[in-house]
Amino acid sequence: MASIAFKRVSKAFDKHEVIKDLDLTIEDGKFTVLVGPSGCGKTTLLRMIAGLDPQTSGSVLIGGKDVSRIAPGKRGVAMVFQNYAIYPTMSVRENIEFGLVNNKVRKAEREELVEGISKAVGLYEYLERKPSTLSGGQRQRVALARAMVKKPSVFLMDEPLSNLDAKLRVQMRIELIELHKKLGATFVYVTHDQVEAMSMADTIVLMNKGVIQQEAPPDEMYRRPSNRFTAQFIGTPPMNVGELGESGSLFGFRPESAVLSEAQGDEPFSVRGVIATREMLGSETIYQVRSGSGNYMVKCSEDLFAAGQEVYVGVPAAKLHFFGEDERRIDEKESSYGKCMEALRGRSHG
Amino acid sequence: MTKAWRYTGLTLGYLLKTAILIVFVFPFLWMLSTSLQTYRETLSYPPTLVPAMPQWINFAEAMSAGPFLTYFKNSAIVTLSIIAIQLLVMIPAAYAFAKYKFPGKNILFSLVLLAFMIPGQVTFIPVYLMMADWGIAKTLLPQIIPFMSNAFGIFLLRQYFMQIPEEIVEAARLDNAGEFKIMRKIMVPMSMPALATIALFSFVSHWNDYFWPLIMTDAEAIRPLTLGIAMLRETEGISNWHIIMAGNVVLVIPILLVYLFCSKQIVKAFVYSGIK
Ligand SMILES: Nc1ncnc2c1ncn2[C@@H]1O[C@H](COP(=O)(O)OP(=O)(O)O)[C@@H](O)[C@H]1O
Ligand SMILES: [Mg+2]
Repeated sequence: MASIAFKRVSKAFDKHEVIKDLDLTIEDGKFTVLVGPSGCGKTTLLRMIAGLDPQTSGSVLIGGKDVSRIAPGKRGVAMVFQNYAIYPTMSVRENIEFGLVNNKVRKAEREELVEGISKAVGLYEYLERKPSTLSGGQRQRVALARAMVKKPSVFLMDEPLSNLDAKLRVQMRIELIELHKKLGATFVYVTHDQVEAMSMADTIVLMNKGVIQQEAPPDEMYRRPSNRFTAQFIGTPPMNVGELGESGSLFGFRPESAVLSEAQGDEPFSVRGVIATREMLGSETIYQVRSGSGNYMVKCSEDLFAAGQEVYVGVPAAKLHFFGEDERRIDEKESSYGKCMEALRGRSHG
Repeated sequence: MTKAWRYTGLTLGYLLKTAILIVFVFPFLWMLSTSLQTYRETLSYPPTLVPAMPQWINFAEAMSAGPFLTYFKNSAIVTLSIIAIQLLVMIPAAYAFAKYKFPGKNILFSLVLLAFMIPGQVTFIPVYLMMADWGIAKTLLPQIIPFMSNAFGIFLLRQYFMQIPEEIVEAARLDNAGEFKIMRKIMVPMSMPALATIALFSFVSHWNDYFWPLIMTDAEAIRPLTLGIAMLRETEGISNWHIIMAGNVVLVIPILLVYLFCSKQIVKAFVYSGIK
């Protein structure tokens, strides 16, 4: 098994620098999800681990060893591509077997491995078929089996589920989590979908414009976002963020942290507004409240209000987040935290 | 469109197709028919299309007019060697041009295109002199060496390779396949239609080549079939069309066979690569 480390890694395409001086350690045996908006450099990072598009400067270490000069096929990594990249002229068996043949695994052992893996992913009956006769989900499994059969210490996956329909995607998510538990290998999974990241990851690495914004387990990333970008990228609807006055600091709260009521409470954040829209989603309802200081999304488990109704939006102190002028999180222990809270309370209660 | 119009359109279409078919097939049938007629029949008026009694002896006569077995062997060796060497050169070249980044790539590729645009007639004298210099004029090599690389083929195959997704090649690299293995196991099987087309064109043009061997050969032992057939006119006399046509049929049959084989391959390859 192997951990992965980036040491001051930069990557440029021609003159265009996509990643600059990046440091990152991906823990051995963990399910790490790289998430971020489209074009932020996730695929680039993954391809540097695989060695398909090596870094311009800096070094990449797998299992503590600098792999900069090691060919992709000899790094002990396997990759599942977004478009599966199955060899179309080979049968399912030949697809799965190709890496083993190249690694000079004996025929008897090869057959045993292919048989075992194909049974595990439900492809055993399809071994002699050509990929063109398979469904999207089955092709996905061929790609997975092809990666698994080599017993790599690192699994790389680039948006592997994005070509599947919603139902299959949820099912595959669970299967991948189970697969990770079973194999115990290091998984690096790329997605632009924060829900996928939250539901699958041991550790989320959130990127924006080639820079790592935060590296944390899902619950911490959700509860203690380290900056405004993280706060608003993770969670739907995104965190409400507003300005705190002249200081340039920001406050924020999650839609489900707010309470709606008809009378003003004594929470530090409490504003009057009108319900502009109401989205009833069954188990919960999402209101958009329009107030003098801005629009706020509020998620309630009960459906008590109607559009056009006047309400108070209140948020308790423990659920408030503050960000400095530089959009970085202000921690409870910092001295400016109290000041921010005072400013907010002053604004709400006059 | 009304029904009547549609039928008129269909009928017209069929008529046109038939006309085109006749234009292309008629000379071939005429050759075949003449090759099976007697001398008398070839001169009769009106001309006969179906010979009264097929004269298979014409073939025997044509083939005994010279060392045709040698000619045939020479043609086969030259054409097959050319195709084999061309494929060996073309596949790696097209792969490099399609899937690699390296300095000077564009200039090199322009050179390939340039080679493809220069007609052979411009270069044949210097090439002839060079081959004579090397002292290989009495072998088959002068008919092979100038055609070892096929610029048009490299161009066509490169275009085809470029359509193969990068990820498939990368997946193979991650599967620890070397570059030659990638070519053999991935690029070539996925490009069978292009390869069959290129090989077919190459076969036809070199099997039928007349100009080049005419310049390059001065001995019977190294002459190809085309020259042998052309010489029938001298050995058999210009008016013995039935013998000359029998020779031509012998010349054309391998092309037909290769074409039938290739077209099957092309269809098969399309079915195999039937993945979106
Ligand atoms: N081969 C390439 N040549 C030039 N620019 C590239 C190449 N690959 C990626 N880029 C650029 O690098 C940036 C990051 O791309 P990528 O890593 O694919 O993003 P993501 O996977 O996060 O959507 C993008 O701006 C993209 O245009
Ligand atoms: Mg990507």
